[in-house]
Amino acid sequence: MISVRELTKLYGDFTAVRSISFDVAAGEILGLVGPNGAGKTTTLRCLGGIIQPSAGTIAIAGHDMRTDSIAAKHALAFIPDEPHLFDYLSVEEHLRFIARLYGVVDVETRLPLLLDELELSEKKRALPGELSRGMRQKLAIACGLLHDPSVLILDEPLTGLDPGGIRRMRQTIAGRAANGSAVILSSHLLNLVEELCTKLLVVRQGEHVAYGTIDEIIQAHPHLLGQSLEDVFLALTSETKAGG
Amino acid sequence: MNAFTYLIWTSGRNRVVTALRRVRSPRYAAALIVGGLYIWSFLLRPNNSAASLSSLLGQPTEMIITVLLVLTLMGSWVFGSDTTALAFTQAELSLLFPAPLSRKALIGYKLTRAQIAVIINVLIWVFILRRGGTVLPGPMRALAIWVMFSTLNLHRLGAALVRSAWTEHGTAGSRRNRWSIVIFAAVGLSLVASLIGARDQLGAVHSTGGFFTVLGRVLSLPPASIGLYPFHLIVAPAFAQSITQWNRAILPAIGMVIVHAWWVFSSDTAFEDAAIEASAERARRLDALRARRSVGAIAPPRAASSTLRLASVGHPALAIFWKNMLCLRRTAQLRVFVGPVTMAIAIGAATSGAGADLGLVFAVGALVLTGMLLLFGGRLIRNDLRHDMQHLPLIKSLPMPAGEIVLAEVASSALPMALVQMILVDIAYVSTLASRENPLGADLRLAIVIAAPFGILALNAAILTIQNATAVLFPAWVRLGPVVSVGVEALGQNLLATVATIFSLAIGLIVPLIAAWLAVMVVSGSRATQLAVVIITASVALCIETYGGIRLLGRALSKAEPLQTT
Repeated sequence: MISVRELTKLYGDFTAVRSISFDVAAGEILGLVGPNGAGKTTTLRCLGGIIQPSAGTIAIAGHDMRTDSIAAKHALAFIPDEPHLFDYLSVEEHLRFIARLYGVVDVETRLPLLLDELELSEKKRALPGELSRGMRQKLAIACGLLHDPSVLILDEPLTGLDPGGIRRMRQTIAGRAANGSAVILSSHLLNLVEELCTKLLVVRQGEHVAYGTIDEIIQAHPHLLGQSLEDVFLALTSETKAGG
Repeated sequence: MNAFTYLIWTSGRNRVVTALRRVRSPRYAAALIVGGLYIWSFLLRPNNSAASLSSLLGQPTEMIITVLLVLTLMGSWVFGSDTTALAFTQAELSLLFPAPLSRKALIGYKLTRAQIAVIINVLIWVFILRRGGTVLPGPMRALAIWVMFSTLNLHRLGAALVRSAWTEHGTAGSRRNRWSIVIFAAVGLSLVASLIGARDQLGAVHSTGGFFTVLGRVLSLPPASIGLYPFHLIVAPAFAQSITQWNRAILPAIGMVIVHAWWVFSSDTAFEDAAIEASAERARRLDALRARRSVGAIAPPRAASSTLRLASVGHPALAIFWKNMLCLRRTAQLRVFVGPVTMAIAIGAATSGAGADLGLVFAVGALVLTGMLLLFGGRLIRNDLRHDMQHLPLIKSLPMPAGEIVLAEVASSALPMALVQMILVDIAYVSTLASRENPLGADLRLAIVIAAPFGILALNAAILTIQNATAVLFPAWVRLGPVVSVGVEALGQNLLATVATIFSLAIGLIVPLIAAWLAVMVVSGSRATQLAVVIITASVALCIETYGGIRLLGRALSKAEPLQTT
């Protein structure tokens, strides 16, 4: 569903992402983790078609992001860490706008369900300026989920959500994967990653330092056996630091 | 150096350095060279032609400017004024508000920051006026213009404070600001009293030019002259014809600045809290949407009480257009049109000449307003990429070709603006039918009214494509967002930008005009037919050219990256 090969992104002389390759199949959730400045958001933005890679290929649902970006974007939803919303469209209007862009024919059926699911029904006429940070994040999530994407790219999706919202979001992510979506989840919440993700991609300074299931990663680093994911993460990133 | 001076200085320096670092990109380097040449030729180039502007700085202009000043400031009172100077960024809220600083210190800081824009525009005007061979030395002219702009800036802020006090505190707010209210009510009353007193005199005048002459005389006599006196004090140094005159005028003008500063600073303390809270709320609302770029304050969007229908299926570009129409509906500020309408009425009436009838006055006024909206309209509404470049990650993730996004965005501002202008041209045409005179001849007027929609549409599309191109190509140098700088103190910047747009348009018009010339060679017919052919051919050619530009802009948009906007 998602296939990334030798993805590289340069900003002048600075290499933000260096030759990263990975795959995410339907029903899988890939956890993208790494310290601040590791290149996670750059990687996700390349996958979302927001920035162009300097080298490498990205295929979303079989569509090459460089040559067939419209079809690729149709298949995916990119939910950024900071909700980008139009300050003059209400909650409902945001969803109708997205519905039109993605050709969601049954918007009248989906819209109330989604608003209920994300507890936005009472705020459907509110403008983003009238919403709390968490509500805005929920709206951004709703916009992403409305067209039922087969690929979900989530960059710190739980930022600003209340405990109830976090639980529902966890269920939503797991539910979407169970229904056959391929999901990439970037988060610093390692317990969330451990709970939801079927695979991990650990990056540091733009390079991947580990990739696979947690068992596979530990198998490759036997000295980490029995340690928590947090310890594994810190060890992997510091190992690279020491080695690199 | 105190903390505020340090903050302003280092922020300004870093901003300039960051902008200049962009020059490492060939696109920005080319823009810097072109921009430098433009500034040099427009402002700095030695002028040997001695085309004097001193005649423009004479008594009649001073009177007109004084009256326009009154109308502008009254606009602040009637339509409300922006509180840009009091809007704090998220960083300022987080770091300055918890700091041990008085409210007055915070307001003083914001007013000092506003001075940067004032000083930039003062410099622009000094250079523009310098080319006219005016008698005053540069520093004197600069001080005179600074006094005028600073007073205007302070007055608009003061008016906003008083109006907000009414909203916040009702009768109590009015009581607190009673002296401000009394003074400006007195100014309005003095004008009304003079006009009522001279109604027979004004009614007896049969020519428009004569009307304005009599009006000028009436306003120069009590009670209007007493009411206008403070405003006259503000503009007098800028219109001084000699150093002696300037010496006489400058001290009272500086006094007006001091009085205004005192007025703003002595505003009720309780209200200062409310003003800062309002700014804080506004900053909070905007912060999440600014992509880490501080753009100043805007009026918060109106509540989404009503909407426009959007079918769930159809071309996605229409969804962008729909979104931007909602933006226009909820963010359009009536006050930004006060200036053009006022100018159109004044210029229309003044240029319609002696013996003109009401129909002709309306026609000229409508055409003048059409022209002004054509030139400046794109700066008044910004419901296109100049706004949406702030949401670049969202825009770029949409499943649409970038060229179609640009087309929909440009159409969002060009079509409404063109529609208003078409209506104005129709009003002008109908007005000429009611006129006693027969300006241009019936056949030419008919040709113009038939061909005008093509021309208006093509010109608006071209002008707004140029303005959108600056946002896409140079996001780091262009102010993004729905901000409309309407203050007179921002007039210099707006003038520079408008002239640059006209230069670009003039270059773009070369091919369409050649096409029109060729068409006239081929098509024979009456003068009216040929005029229609010229307008329509040039418009079609310009539209084709603009469409090509939009496609190129689409390519640029597809390569634009969010980092470029931060």
